[in-house]
Amino acid sequence: MTRVVKNRSAPAFGLIAALVLALLAANPVQAGAGEITIAAASDLTFAFKDLTARVHKQTGNSVKLSYGSSGNFFSQIQSGAPYDLFFSADIDYPKKLEGAELTEPGTLYEYATGKLVLWVPTASKLDLKRGLAVLTEPSIRKIAIANPQHAPYGRATVAAMEHAGIYDQVKQKLVLGENISQAAQFVESGNADHGVLALSLAVAPAMKEKGRYVEVPSEDYPAIIQAAVILKSSHEKETAQAFLKFIKTPASLALMAQYGFTILNQIAGEQNHESAPN
Amino acid sequence: MQLSVRIAKRLSKSFSLEAEFDAPAGFAMLLGPSGAGKTTLLNCIAGLLRPDAGRIALGERVLFDSASRTNLPVQERKLGYLFQNLALFPHLTIAQNVKYGISHLPAEQRSERMTAMLESFRIAHLVDRKPSEISGGERQRAALARSLVTNPTMLLLDEPLLALDVVTKAKIVDDLRIWNAEHAIPIVYVTHSPQEAYALGERVVVLDAGRVVGRGMPNEVLAAPRHETIAQIVGFENVFDVTVKSVSESQGTMLCQMDGSLTEIDVPLGHVEIGERVRIAIRAGDIIAATERPQHLSARNNFAARIVSIRREGPRVILLIEAGVTFEVHVTPRACDELGLAEGSPVWLVIKSYSCHLVAPRE
Amino acid sequence: MMDWSAIFLTLRLALVVCALLLIIGMPIASWLSFSKWRYKFFVESIVALPLVLPPTVLGFYVLVAMGSQSPFGRWYQSISGHAMPFTFTGLVIASVIYSLPFAVQPMTAAFGQVDRNLINASSTLGASRLRTFIRIVLPLSLGGVVTGVVLSFAHTLGEFGVVLMVGGNIPGVTQTVSIAIYDHVQALDYAGANHMALLLLAFSFITLSITYSLNRRAGIFYRPYRDSALRPEVGFAKTRRH
Repeated sequence: MTRVVKNRSAPAFGLIAALVLALLAANPVQAGAGEITIAAASDLTFAFKDLTARVHKQTGNSVKLSYGSSGNFFSQIQSGAPYDLFFSADIDYPKKLEGAELTEPGTLYEYATGKLVLWVPTASKLDLKRGLAVLTEPSIRKIAIANPQHAPYGRATVAAMEHAGIYDQVKQKLVLGENISQAAQFVESGNADHGVLALSLAVAPAMKEKGRYVEVPSEDYPAIIQAAVILKSSHEKETAQAFLKFIKTPASLALMAQYGFTILNQIAGEQNHESAPN
Repeated sequence: MQLSVRIAKRLSKSFSLEAEFDAPAGFAMLLGPSGAGKTTLLNCIAGLLRPDAGRIALGERVLFDSASRTNLPVQERKLGYLFQNLALFPHLTIAQNVKYGISHLPAEQRSERMTAMLESFRIAHLVDRKPSEISGGERQRAALARSLVTNPTMLLLDEPLLALDVVTKAKIVDDLRIWNAEHAIPIVYVTHSPQEAYALGERVVVLDAGRVVGRGMPNEVLAAPRHETIAQIVGFENVFDVTVKSVSESQGTMLCQMDGSLTEIDVPLGHVEIGERVRIAIRAGDIIAATERPQHLSARNNFAARIVSIRREGPRVILLIEAGVTFEVHVTPRACDELGLAEGSPVWLVIKSYSCHLVAPRE
Repeated sequence: MMDWSAIFLTLRLALVVCALLLIIGMPIASWLSFSKWRYKFFVESIVALPLVLPPTVLGFYVLVAMGSQSPFGRWYQSISGHAMPFTFTGLVIASVIYSLPFAVQPMTAAFGQVDRNLINASSTLGASRLRTFIRIVLPLSLGGVVTGVVLSFAHTLGEFGVVLMVGGNIPGVTQTVSIAIYDHVQALDYAGANHMALLLLAFSFITLSITYSLNRRAGIFYRPYRDSALRPEVGFAKTRRH
């Protein structure tokens, strides 16, 4: 039989309203002191996992990482996304932000250049010595690259393919990852058979197990200059400064080099660029 | 306290309601075939529908007046409305249902009123039941109690007793009558049953196709129907179109020729001219069948005729008899047997002039 | 590895959104089921729009509306001191819009099924519209309201496109479980992705099971009369229960 429903609606409404207020008030949104949020280009996925663990160990500061394509972060930051630091895979984006006065003046720092590799699964019999030209092989169905529209590695990949004169031939086979990390995931999972990736991803243990790679000659594409900048909207500028300082230590740079980045700094002075870091 | 209603409401291109009637304290029966606009009229009175024009007043209290732009909301009309399906709240107990309309009273008073009401409708033992757990008759009583506990200034009933047997219904109506002897409010009772209208009504309003076609005391309205609709509702099985041939002022009758035959019939005098066409209605039970030519009778109309068909329907026999036109005649089974009536056999029909009722044709 | 901050954030988002939808959705639903306005379909279409729109379209416009170019975005920035996109508040607003039909449609349907005579009866007994709604309509359509709340809760939990566009992917602020899964997959952390995905799967399944079982019981709950004797179509001849 039926059950009595009493008029409990009014207290229920009060309860709901209280719950909403409580949930909105119990606000873990503001990061605590000594905690920063970094928008990091996805080629840093593995290097930064290591690096931020060390930062936390040494300074007690904690770092929240958001990985994605640099172009996407660029537009998010323009719309007011609350990051403290931006590690871009392409120096153009931080420079544009600097021009729009969205960055903390004098904090732009070029820390490395990224490298492109051609990656094939272990089972593939292709001769990697032929370089990008092997991608024209008819047995290859899908080639994963980063989206050239907003990922610097994607743009570099297209430039390298054009340099090798194969872009028009392989255009139909390209599978675009939202960022270089997604392109890596496409090949790692076997959904694409080949890929042009960041060296920093190809050296990661998870990728090493499944395939082999060859570097694309760096003169075949414009340099992928990586740069970091502190954002003006940051509430944790000191912590962000401390993090940048930590990155500049020889130990950190050595770690970055291990992950396949070419370091351009005071130590590796011979690779200096015109726009020297400050 | 008298309810006066005069409203117009257009519902569709083909149907509009234009009704005017008064209902003093007591039962006013709103009678009409389905689709006549009875429920619409009730909803206008209740304030659930807004009339296009007119005025509704209860004594001094104006509920609706298009001229002064008065339109009291339902909540303020202080009425009881018994819906066709009763509309008891299924998730509430009978007690909660009955208390629903008196929530403004203090709890103690509420319980007192509720108990008193349930007792006077003999359902005090059902307080904690749900509507789905009690019988149909009990539900009617509960719904009535719920409406009346608010001390409404009028009561509207939309065929609420439709599904009940005669005995149960009579008991409920008796209790309602006892209640109203004390409260004396107008009770507008919608029905399509003339028996019910006869049995309950102090007044009858007959509605057809959105128009009031008759009103007055039940015996006046129903026994001498001046409208074809009423004739049909009340059970005048024979309705004929006739043409007036001659008028006898001294006798108070006129002779009419029935359409489609040469048969002439003597009927009571009406306000009509010779040559005019009128409609008459005759109850099947008012016609006498005889196997020999009747003599020495006061009845003016005697027709030689022939039985077309005989059909038994329960405790009565329905004869179709041809006398230029076809009459429906009802006789008892014994009369049928003793006279030895059979299909095809010749009979005489006897009809009193005063059994012929002039009715206005339906527009 | 469980990403507890993403789980907490997602639950918090879903709870806030479905509580807001309960408060916003019920008036809209009751208006939709009781209004006789001839252009009502217009409002119905707007409410249902998120059902057919790609999340990106909705996300794009919400982003534009919240941005510093729009009056609303500027107003918010002037009172709160920071921009709305990529904040929890922004995420709540976008999710409320995106889940609106999931809350409103079951409620509208349930309200529409309440016998109009019950509502009329309540009015003739002097009850205001609000009292009628709370005491009659709401208890009789509880199943629909619960369904609406649960569906919008579950839908918010699993939302991806709008959250990604409007919220970005900021851990602890706008990174919900579904985005954390996306992140784990990109970082080739399949174990992490699997843990989170299983959690979401189990949770969605449980919520839906609860809703459907509630609705089944509700079916018995609302039947006003067991026997057909009271249906107006039935004549005198039918026998009743006494």
